[in-house]
Amino acid sequence: MNSLEDIAKALSEIEVKALEVLKDFAELNEQEIAEKASMPLDSARRALAWLGEKGLVELQKKQVERNALTEKGLEALEKGLPEEKLISALRKLGGKARFDALLKGSGLSKEEFHAALGMTRRYNLIVINEKKELELTGLEKEFFEKCLAKEILRKVQEGVQIDEQSFEFADLRKRGLIEKRKKILMSAKINENGLKALEIAKSIGKREYNLAVAVEPIFMGKKQPYARFLDEVRTKLVALGFKEMKSPLIVEEFYNFDALFQPQNHPARDWASTFRLKNPKYGRLPSARIVSAVKAAHESGAGVESKGWGYEWSADLARQLMPAAHGTAHSARQLIEGVEIPGKYFAIARCYRPDAIDKTHLMEFNQLEGIIVADLSFRHLLGMLKEFAEEIASAKQVRFAPDYYPFTEPSVELSAKHPELGWIEFGGAGLFRPEVVRPLGIKCNVLAWGLGIDRLAMFKLGIDDMRELFSTDLEWMRKHEIVRL
Amino acid sequence: MPTIEIIKKDLEKLLGKKLALEELAEKAMPFTKAEVETAEGDKLKIGIKDTNRPDLLSVEGIARELKGFYGIELGLPRFKVRKSDVKVSVDPKLKNIRPKGAYAIAKGIKVTEHLLEQMIQLQEKICETFGRKRKEIAIGLFDYDKVNGNLHYYAADTDTKFVPLDFNEKLSLKEILKVHPKGMEYGHLLEGHSKYPLLVDSEQEVLSMPPIINSEYSGKVTPKTTNIFIDVTGFNQELINIALDIVCAALHDRGASIESVTVEYKGEKIITPILGSHKIEVPLALIENIFGEKVNADSMKKFAEMKRMNCKIKQQSIEAEYPSYRADILHAVDIVEDLLIAADYNKLRPEHVHIVTKGSELEERLLVNVVREACIGLGLQEVLTFTLSSKERQQKNMLLPEMEFVELENPISSEYCIFRRSLLPELLAVLSKNKHRAYPQHIFEAGKIVLLKKSPDGKAYVDEKQVLAIALADQKANFNEIKAYFDALCNAMGWHYKMERAEHVSFEKGLCASIKLDEKRGIIGEISKKVLENFGLSMPVAVLEIEL
Repeated sequence: MNSLEDIAKALSEIEVKALEVLKDFAELNEQEIAEKASMPLDSARRALAWLGEKGLVELQKKQVERNALTEKGLEALEKGLPEEKLISALRKLGGKARFDALLKGSGLSKEEFHAALGMTRRYNLIVINEKKELELTGLEKEFFEKCLAKEILRKVQEGVQIDEQSFEFADLRKRGLIEKRKKILMSAKINENGLKALEIAKSIGKREYNLAVAVEPIFMGKKQPYARFLDEVRTKLVALGFKEMKSPLIVEEFYNFDALFQPQNHPARDWASTFRLKNPKYGRLPSARIVSAVKAAHESGAGVESKGWGYEWSADLARQLMPAAHGTAHSARQLIEGVEIPGKYFAIARCYRPDAIDKTHLMEFNQLEGIIVADLSFRHLLGMLKEFAEEIASAKQVRFAPDYYPFTEPSVELSAKHPELGWIEFGGAGLFRPEVVRPLGIKCNVLAWGLGIDRLAMFKLGIDDMRELFSTDLEWMRKHEIVRL
Repeated sequence: MPTIEIIKKDLEKLLGKKLALEELAEKAMPFTKAEVETAEGDKLKIGIKDTNRPDLLSVEGIARELKGFYGIELGLPRFKVRKSDVKVSVDPKLKNIRPKGAYAIAKGIKVTEHLLEQMIQLQEKICETFGRKRKEIAIGLFDYDKVNGNLHYYAADTDTKFVPLDFNEKLSLKEILKVHPKGMEYGHLLEGHSKYPLLVDSEQEVLSMPPIINSEYSGKVTPKTTNIFIDVTGFNQELINIALDIVCAALHDRGASIESVTVEYKGEKIITPILGSHKIEVPLALIENIFGEKVNADSMKKFAEMKRMNCKIKQQSIEAEYPSYRADILHAVDIVEDLLIAADYNKLRPEHVHIVTKGSELEERLLVNVVREACIGLGLQEVLTFTLSSKERQQKNMLLPEMEFVELENPISSEYCIFRRSLLPELLAVLSKNKHRAYPQHIFEAGKIVLLKKSPDGKAYVDEKQVLAIALADQKANFNEIKAYFDALCNAMGWHYKMERAEHVSFEKGLCASIKLDEKRGIIGEISKKVLENFGLSMPVAVLEIEL
């Protein structure tokens, strides 16, 4: 046996409508229900039959008297009342005619003709002129527009209640267009269960809705898709035990280059390869101890068993401010400002390069940068890279290739296999050179890596144009599915 | 990364071995830290990653390295150099202009169009990258048959005349800098000098004006040339020796016999090219530290030989002997990397990092993230904009007076030439781009702004601040609506702020207030009609911006 709730949920639209009208009346018959719920009689009957079966209403057959159209009545509704026929015949005869001619022309029986003529004369639609002709007065048009008799016929046909006190009703009955018939009608009372079921059905309300209809859109609050992606990467790195490093937008060249053993005449320090600041021009160098150790490493490799670069190092060049060109600048600063050993550090850094903006280049982009300060080997670096490729890119296969960075030795490039795109270059890594770490006072190895997080984001977010990472198109953001790492 | 073009068949000829492209790209090229960037038929574009390996900027250099990879030739490459009687005397007056020279003669070479292209490419690429655009290294090649006797490299008067390459009339040195394309391109390298460098032979016939241009007479190598004179100039003898060695090594590998030249400085004579070797001791402990395991000295020797070095095994170390043109060897770790490459990175066993450390985000990140979370709870859409902006957007459109920004010295677009001082103009620009999208548009960004500050002693410094900005654009956006959002945010964040009526040119009069939140400042209100107009907006916009 179904529960009342199941029954209520399964109610059809007509059943709910029937219950809805029944709840406000002690008892209604099928005809009254059809009328009040504005539904066809057929539907009301079906609804009552189902509701009765489900035990939501008490049904009772009751004899009622009702009006019905006779054959004449049906014909009048379809083809016009006798008086209409009479008048249109008269119009055809030129607006006036003799009695006999009109009787013939109207096609009515003598009896009908008399009744019709009596009616038209009563309303002054036809008069008898001096020549004893019947003549139209011109009032007929307005009369038929408001003709009550026709409306009564229509209502009777439809089973709608009418005012039986009117003169027209009595006339139509007298003329044999309407008759009284006896009829058995189904009568219903809503019961306790019916009331409850109605309440449940209304609270669900589903029967009221057209599912296909377009509803007003709601714009939810969402993270920008790329920002959200970066959040997830950050969470992942924290879970892997990495501490986030400070990553200012603007740094001294010292951190971007000098501390990373990039000679001051290195092509990467060119005008065309990095931005410089016009205002302000200079920042601050770290402690004199660090600065002189870095200077010595550059000039002669003193203190780090290196040949050095063999040139005169300038502190003024190193003090120049620039928008960070790579995230490794922040690793350099972290090493100078102090690290735990062993320690793991990371940054997602906004970086800047004077590249014309196109599908694969932005002037501003992000780099995922990290270091592990511990006596670990190159093979540990490979292991870490493999873990990143698996964790962040969900890569199944990775490949390593020798690479070059002025600040790492050995250096390695990581590629990961993408199911559709094939091998994707994913980032670079290496062990910081002794000329980098020793002057900063670090005695153990430093494993360093930088991943092209923008490129990874592109294939995670299904984007093939780098500019879209920073898209400000609200439509795109509103429709963008949330992508998980 | 410098790139060079080579012909695969040429590489195969130099190696004496047929190569499958795929194997070349996947295995062989990585061995030289190079990559095949494009392959069109036989024509390969090769990217050379190591900018400290100018010896790899030619097909000859790559072939020499790959002979080790394929086991065709192992150990230190040997070059035969015969001593010639030719001398180049160097004028001490060049001291501050361009004081150093290195020279060599390559004889008996069959110059083809292809070889010529390769030599020009090598010369250009060395000068461009390793030679810092000719500043440190300039190379000239000459038809030696047109050169007489001993040469003289000196500081010449700027009125001295000769016919520069690709010209048919004599020009003075001064004129060359003004009218010759190379003079215009590289003239700045001689700026501020009253005399210019000139290389002449015993007949006073000009070979070249380093680092600008060769002469039309002898400075033109063609397929008819069989003997080549090479001139390298610069400031650092060691660097120019390396460049000369690389050019000579390449010509040697093409079958030329190399002859040396005596360079006479005041009180010192040297003989170039060097084409020798250097030795470095690499402790086994260092190798093991980087390999992360015990290593076998014999296999290290084998790896070193593959990488074209000789290797002597000692008690606690190995001694690697490498060609003198290897500019990249500064420290023993540079040898260790070569050993690792020979061992093949992909054959090393990756080791799991087992160190357990506690991860964390920056304090400021945690705050920004909570604020972002609250904004999203308020139904706002986050946007992400660039930190670089334009004065037009940040100042003019906002009706602000002339002000100082943290500004780029070398912008490449006026749209991105300053750092933003406020997020509000960036949000208005976002709304402006979305004029045809459905409203309401309620957006926010939490990000950095960059202010130019002055310290008490008048020094300018950069102040980066995290801020939050919200913009509401819809028919009913007004002061009360944005204040309602702000109240909700403050409620969520536990902020207790003070608000005061304020005047601001970017805001509607009387519909703007300043916010004080402890030390932090902010602004809230309705953006003025004029500013909206400047951004092409017709919908009312209410905003707030506050330091975090």
